[in-house]
Amino acid sequence: MVDFARVQKELQECNRDFQVSGIKVTPKGEANLAHLLGTIPGPIGTPYEGGTFKIDITLPDGYPFEPPKMKFATKVWHPNISSQSGAICLDILKDQWSPALTLKTALLSIQALLSAPEPDDPQDAVVAQQYLRDYQTFLGTARYWTEAFAMISSLGVEEKVQKLVEMGFPEDLVRTTLENVGGDENLALEKLCST
Amino acid sequence: MEVPVKFKEMMENQSDDDDELEKISEAFICCVCRDLLYKPVVLACGHISCFWCIHKSMSGLHKSSCPICRNQYYHFPYICQKLHLLLLKVYPSAYNRRENQTLEEEKDMGYFSPQIGGPDYQLQPEQKIIKPSNASVPCFSATDSSLNPCSVRAGETPDRIAHVHSGPVHQDIGFGNLLDSRKDTAATSAPIAEDRNSNQIHCGGTCKQASVDDVLCDSCNHLLFRPIVLNCGHAFCICCIVPQTSEMLKCQVCQSPHPGDLPKVCLEFDHFLEEQFPKEYGLRREALQMKHEQFQTESPSTCSSEAGKESFHFSFSSGEEPLPWWNASSKVHIGVGCDSCGMYPIIGDRYRCKDCVEQIGYDLCKDCYTTRSKLPGRFNQQHTSEHKFEIVKSTAMHNIMLRLLRGQLQDVSAVSDALHDTSANVIPSSDNTNEDEENVADATLPSSETEANESENGRLA
Repeated sequence: MVDFARVQKELQECNRDFQVSGIKVTPKGEANLAHLLGTIPGPIGTPYEGGTFKIDITLPDGYPFEPPKMKFATKVWHPNISSQSGAICLDILKDQWSPALTLKTALLSIQALLSAPEPDDPQDAVVAQQYLRDYQTFLGTARYWTEAFAMISSLGVEEKVQKLVEMGFPEDLVRTTLENVGGDENLALEKLCST
Repeated sequence: MEVPVKFKEMMENQSDDDDELEKISEAFICCVCRDLLYKPVVLACGHISCFWCIHKSMSGLHKSSCPICRNQYYHFPYICQKLHLLLLKVYPSAYNRRENQTLEEEKDMGYFSPQIGGPDYQLQPEQKIIKPSNASVPCFSATDSSLNPCSVRAGETPDRIAHVHSGPVHQDIGFGNLLDSRKDTAATSAPIAEDRNSNQIHCGGTCKQASVDDVLCDSCNHLLFRPIVLNCGHAFCICCIVPQTSEMLKCQVCQSPHPGDLPKVCLEFDHFLEEQFPKEYGLRREALQMKHEQFQTESPSTCSSEAGKESFHFSFSSGEEPLPWWNASSKVHIGVGCDSCGMYPIIGDRYRCKDCVEQIGYDLCKDCYTTRSKLPGRFNQQHTSEHKFEIVKSTAMHNIMLRLLRGQLQDVSAVSDALHDTSANVIPSSDNTNEDEENVADATLPSSETEANESENGRLA
């Protein structure tokens, strides 16, 4: 059974200093605290700068005694993050988890991972190869992916929401779907049509 | 990957309604449940957490590590009674809320944490506590010498709770009494009004003030200075513990041996004492510095970074590092802890009580069995010295685990069969023990599966 009292506290705590950390955690649904969405800003001085990365969080029954399941919902080009699935290779999300860690500290660690890739212990072999062999190209691709997938100006989102609402979808659903697919309008439309 | 640790980001204001008046000091927020500590346990590294938070975060398969510093340990310590009573006094309503909340969870689980002040803690020699207060209060803590809450407590509560048998209802009664007596003493004891720093930690209001008498060393009877909490839950000043190089460290109050290295200073507790009683703490420091100059003792170890280099190593009878549970010759009893010293999992011979009816059972490790330990169970079992023990071979569990992992074991009957095949010295098994052992096997199953998954995942990171 997830300790929801603690999750509730964590959310309050984390969102209180959002102005400083830029890290935000919000519940995905109204009723269920086991599915959350985390947001981290790309670290300054990296190809991820300026991007806002969404992380899909699922809390297992044993939380906080088991690590939360986290994966990127935004596409990202990084040796330790799968470019396909968004899976993250980070020890504290696996065997090095400790119940004293929180969603916020885990997200901070992921943010730190963005600024310090570990190509020797890769999740995505293609990216890691590129990182080691051709660093400039890696930087270019990472930068491009950030611009293409992680930069959604708030105006842009509103426009997309407007557009999809005009097609006849309810606004709440449009917003959550857009968030879930990382802001990609076409993916959102596809998902909306399929549900 | 280095973890950007920010463990101590604590809540400034508790949102819970009843906590609003009692601003809880950061030091007493449990790092696991993020709430006020309830039945605090102090690990060998000096970090504090709740009884259940520590128990749940322990591994039943191998060494556990501290949630905060990852210091490895084998023994689940007893609840620190001193801290427990202190918290109950300082944050009565929040602590009560925690008590009710925990009790609900315990009812759901069917396992109960020990009652404090009840029979569980009668191992404390009474005369130690009931000392006349005037004599026991040190000359420099003159703020409150009129009434010693300790003596009131010791006189009243254990007697009342001693009649109690088990069950949550009785716990309520026990605690009610305890709380009442605490309130009385808090009201009558002289307030330390001149305490300059008191407002820094507590907002005043309904918060009760702790008095020096609540935080005396169990050995020197002075205010605790750089407190150390042993495995048995008793707290001492660091200078009151005399390390013996040859033997294991023993608690001066309950005589139970302390396994492992000399624990580190409980810094959160220490800071609280320093802030709460700056005058007395300062006097203690001066007094000890004078002593220090005379004896030139070594500087106390803290939980900062370097591991304690003290050399009392607890030997697991064999004297060497135990084999991992999956090794065929290991003697690890997965998911079973010693109710006396707290070793979890038990390594070596395991002695199981045949007469304890509680679902969780009562087990002892070899060392505790041979010393005929009188300590009560960790989960409020009503174990008495008349109960008989049987030896349980770890191989039984081991075989089952292996077969479970291979998916050979389909029905529960096979589990009990296997248990009876392999546990050699088991004396005629009543239906009762039979069921219990099935429970044990069932209980360990999920953890083994997760462990297997983990090992499959391997060290990806």
